Amino acid sequence: MRDSDRKQYLANIVDAYVHRRMGRRDFLKNAGLLGLGAASFGAGMRRPFGLGSMPFANASEDLRPSEEILKWVKDVSGPFRGTTLKLATESTPPSNAINSQLKKYFEEASGMTVEIEVLPLEQVLQKMTLDIASQLGTYDLYYIDQSWAASVNRDVFDPREQIETKPDLAMPGYDMDDFLPALVDGIAKYEDRWVGVPYDIPIFIMMYRKDIWEEMGFKAPTTLEEYYQQAKAITDAKGPSLYGSTGQMKSGHYSLECDWTAWLWGHGGSIFGSDGKFSGNDERGLEAMEYWTKLWKTMPPGVTGWTWDGQGQSVAQGVAASMMSWGEFFPYFDDPSATKVSGLMEAVRVPVPTRALRTTAETGFGEIPGVGHQGGSSLAVSKNSKNPDAAWIFMQWATSYDTQVLITALGGGTGPTRKSVYDDPRIIANNRVGAGTTRHLNIVRDTIAMDMGSEPDLPQWAEISNDTIPVRLGKYFAGEYGSAKEAMDDIAQAVDKVVAG
Amino acid sequence: MIVENKTRRRLRIVVAWFVTALFVFPLYFWTTTAFKEAKEIFNVPPSIWSFSPTLRNFEEVFGISFGFLRQQEVLPGGGNFYMAPRLWDSIIVALFSTALAIIISTLAAYSLSRMNFRGRHHFVSWVLSTRMMPPVAVAIPMFFIYKDIGLMDTHLGIIIIHALMNLPLAVLLLKSFFDDIPQEIDESAIVDGASRWLIFRRIVLPMAMGGVAATAVLCFIFSWTEFIFVLTLTQTGLKTVPVVSSSFVTSTGTAWGNMAALGVAAMLPAFVFILLVQKQLVRGLTLGSLKQ
Amino acid sequence: MTAVLPKRIKDILLGDSPVPWLAPLVTMLVVFTIYPLVYNIWLSFHEYAPFKRRLVYVGWDNWSALVNDTRFWDALSVTFTYFFVLLAIQVVLGMLIALLLDSDEPGFGILRGLLTLTLVIPPAITGMMFLLMEDPAFGVLTYVLNGLGILSPDAPILATSSTALAGVMLADIWQWTPFMVLIFLAGLRSLPTEPYEAAMLDGASSFQVFRKITLPMMSKVIAVAVLIRGIDLFRAFDYMFVMTSGGPGTSTYTLSLYAWQQTFSFVKWGYGATLSLVGLVLIMIIANIFIYVSKVRW
Repeated sequence: MRDSDRKQYLANIVDAYVHRRMGRRDFLKNAGLLGLGAASFGAGMRRPFGLGSMPFANASEDLRPSEEILKWVKDVSGPFRGTTLKLATESTPPSNAINSQLKKYFEEASGMTVEIEVLPLEQVLQKMTLDIASQLGTYDLYYIDQSWAASVNRDVFDPREQIETKPDLAMPGYDMDDFLPALVDGIAKYEDRWVGVPYDIPIFIMMYRKDIWEEMGFKAPTTLEEYYQQAKAITDAKGPSLYGSTGQMKSGHYSLECDWTAWLWGHGGSIFGSDGKFSGNDERGLEAMEYWTKLWKTMPPGVTGWTWDGQGQSVAQGVAASMMSWGEFFPYFDDPSATKVSGLMEAVRVPVPTRALRTTAETGFGEIPGVGHQGGSSLAVSKNSKNPDAAWIFMQWATSYDTQVLITALGGGTGPTRKSVYDDPRIIANNRVGAGTTRHLNIVRDTIAMDMGSEPDLPQWAEISNDTIPVRLGKYFAGEYGSAKEAMDDIAQAVDKVVAG
Repeated sequence: MIVENKTRRRLRIVVAWFVTALFVFPLYFWTTTAFKEAKEIFNVPPSIWSFSPTLRNFEEVFGISFGFLRQQEVLPGGGNFYMAPRLWDSIIVALFSTALAIIISTLAAYSLSRMNFRGRHHFVSWVLSTRMMPPVAVAIPMFFIYKDIGLMDTHLGIIIIHALMNLPLAVLLLKSFFDDIPQEIDESAIVDGASRWLIFRRIVLPMAMGGVAATAVLCFIFSWTEFIFVLTLTQTGLKTVPVVSSSFVTSTGTAWGNMAALGVAAMLPAFVFILLVQKQLVRGLTLGSLKQ
Repeated sequence: MTAVLPKRIKDILLGDSPVPWLAPLVTMLVVFTIYPLVYNIWLSFHEYAPFKRRLVYVGWDNWSALVNDTRFWDALSVTFTYFFVLLAIQVVLGMLIALLLDSDEPGFGILRGLLTLTLVIPPAITGMMFLLMEDPAFGVLTYVLNGLGILSPDAPILATSSTALAGVMLADIWQWTPFMVLIFLAGLRSLPTEPYEAAMLDGASSFQVFRKITLPMMSKVIAVAVLIRGIDLFRAFDYMFVMTSGGPGTSTYTLSLYAWQQTFSFVKWGYGATLSLVGLVLIMIIANIFIYVSKVRW
């Protein structure tokens, strides 16, 4: 297998070189490194629990931006030297990679200063809305979670227009068509505009403990019902020291809504019907609740107090044997210094839905049903920015092919939003057990293409998804409703009221 | 004061240490968290006494090397270059806002303590009521004012708002400390021809130094721990510890070890400040000279 | 400098008038608190219209919306529970610990210093600390409380409606009881000794001494502490924001948290301002009743 991998890398490098996605210098360097990459891959396999994993032994040498791109940045930034750009972003792997490792190269080449304010998600929203409402242009770029796209739609530039109107600022080979089409639809597009370009893509995949599954004689779950049976069997056999499943079910938190949509869509339900009314309380919605309620019994009792942090920890510490959740956690699980399950986890596509997914025609507000719930975000230049052109240069650099490869390699195997990045040799080279692994990325790519579910786009969605729904679902799991039907009916009237304004 | 018998004395000592230990335990636990590897933070059952300590969290947070850190690691919360300056920001803001609050409030508290004027009682109540406004409600209008007058994202802006937030508390406390100093001292000084200003500077202020120190400690602490104003009125120019701590809550989980490391490091400057005024503080807490 | 000033101004500056002493305070407070107050009142009659990108006049809509907003009434009841329960606990506990530490035993200075350490931690971080310690699977407090049989593993403290508020209160008690101790100690230590000596000669019990001597002489200190702490308790926000997001359901949603969420998360500035004003009015009424009843004269 190793030999075939090596051939595969070589083929990919050549392909990238031929298609001018990679400069000559980089091509030669990568080709030269091929032997080394394969060797360290082997080492990683032999000692997955080795002390102080060093996934990027020569990282400081290999993983730096291509000279070509930096030269373009330098050439095009002439008029903007000395400009300061501001961006407020959630603390996500891409933003952290740019902020702590890659920004310096851009600053050096462009002569600009990039100030990145790292905040938890809800504070990013707060900063952005204040900026928009006051139209003061304190931030040049916005980090836009997919659930905010509708509300900031008119406050940012459409990148396609920027390319058209500023041909002299357009990055050669930037290639808007390289962004995964499903992500463009699900994250960036609102009505017929692009609200920035897809910037990062956390998405639900199925992650499970291979050792436990093998011990129990199970195969990876293919249907939701099978997943429940397996989770239950594990909890019955090994609880309370090990539970079959886990979740992010903290009342009043966005994460609870994320879990709900996955089960809802997986049972052929949808948040909104084609009439724009809440439909989570229909027959399929209730079926989903019934499923979720019984699956909940297979999870650790603390699950209703956890967001993705507690959920991830429960798997990392060996308290839960599987989770269907954000793929971003997978590289973390493989990090032997942080978790007890390094090398034991396996990623597969999410189980197939119990009933046929609803089509977008059967739902409202552009909702796209799919078990693989996505929580991606886009990056866009603010219309209030005082330096939109300089910001646009930074944005192209930050979302370019080259930068995304570095982000994915440095940022711990986060999912790229560009097709071609998945095949880059530097990404494939990390396809081994250890911190920052990329061995789950093929699953991520498949999930984006085939299983992805996207929340609806409407200006009230931030309120509905962060409050209206998760507060009431929290009440349901705290036992404050008589039945799931009662809870869902209550949500229905509350959501419809918010939508009506 | 009251002479206690031996058993009661012993009981008091034991209970006092036990109660303090209860309050210190969370701090102890948080401190150990700062020295733990991620997987040990989440040990089941929690490892309270025995764990293998690491300095890695401090390396990650402050960008210093003790040899635990991996090369070229992407760090949560913006990384190490981000954190050390934030401690500095916190110190500047807390020190200067405390100084500003103390200057304004000692003046006011003196006159409120020594001068009788109509409506004094209502005036004090009004001062107190300015603290009742929820910070959320103050934050939005302040955001707009600050944008207009250029105080947004500046140290000065945060210093002013923190001083302001502490004024009611400081005035109230200082007034009660000044009230404890017998009026007769003032009066005899007035007979000697001293002005109000002289009495304030040479007599009342030195005598109430302990009270001033105690008030300063509280002002410092409230500024040190304030969250909403710093969050709303800063961007990238400065950040204080409470706000920057929240950036360890990331999309791939919370960096608990890092957060604890910053928290522990942030305890130190505040603790040093308390120690520096400790001597005054003890006197403030006793005001003993007046008892005889 | 005083020589060049006209006599009238000199009189004002150096005489018995409180004006120059209070001027800086009043200036600061007027500029930075009257304006926000007026702005909020104005704001409560407007609402931010996302599509128009500006505030529009809505009349009394925000105020009348309060009546039928069950979330508001829930928040109000949580706020009051939190306020009264914690005020009582912190005053009593603070006084007990202050009495305990009011002694010149060796090492007690250290104990007083150690107690102030809890105040140095920012409340937002305290929330995270207790969130970690109360984690249903990994938390050390959960472990201890489960071990003692006080809690059951099936009912995680922060995720159970009946206990969540108590879980949040724990953080508040831990952080702020030492604040009360500090203020009470300052008061206790400045009490004159004569009444105690007299009481001792009469052979009074320590409880009698506390009731008849300490309490009356401490009344003003206690009143100040209650007011300061009470005001902050009524605005409680950080702990539930971090620990429970107001949940499960709305069982830990306070008025401040609700106002924060309306203002910042949903950009309903007008409604957020209305909620804040309601909170302001309520705490002002409570404080004034307290000042009147406790006969505090400043």
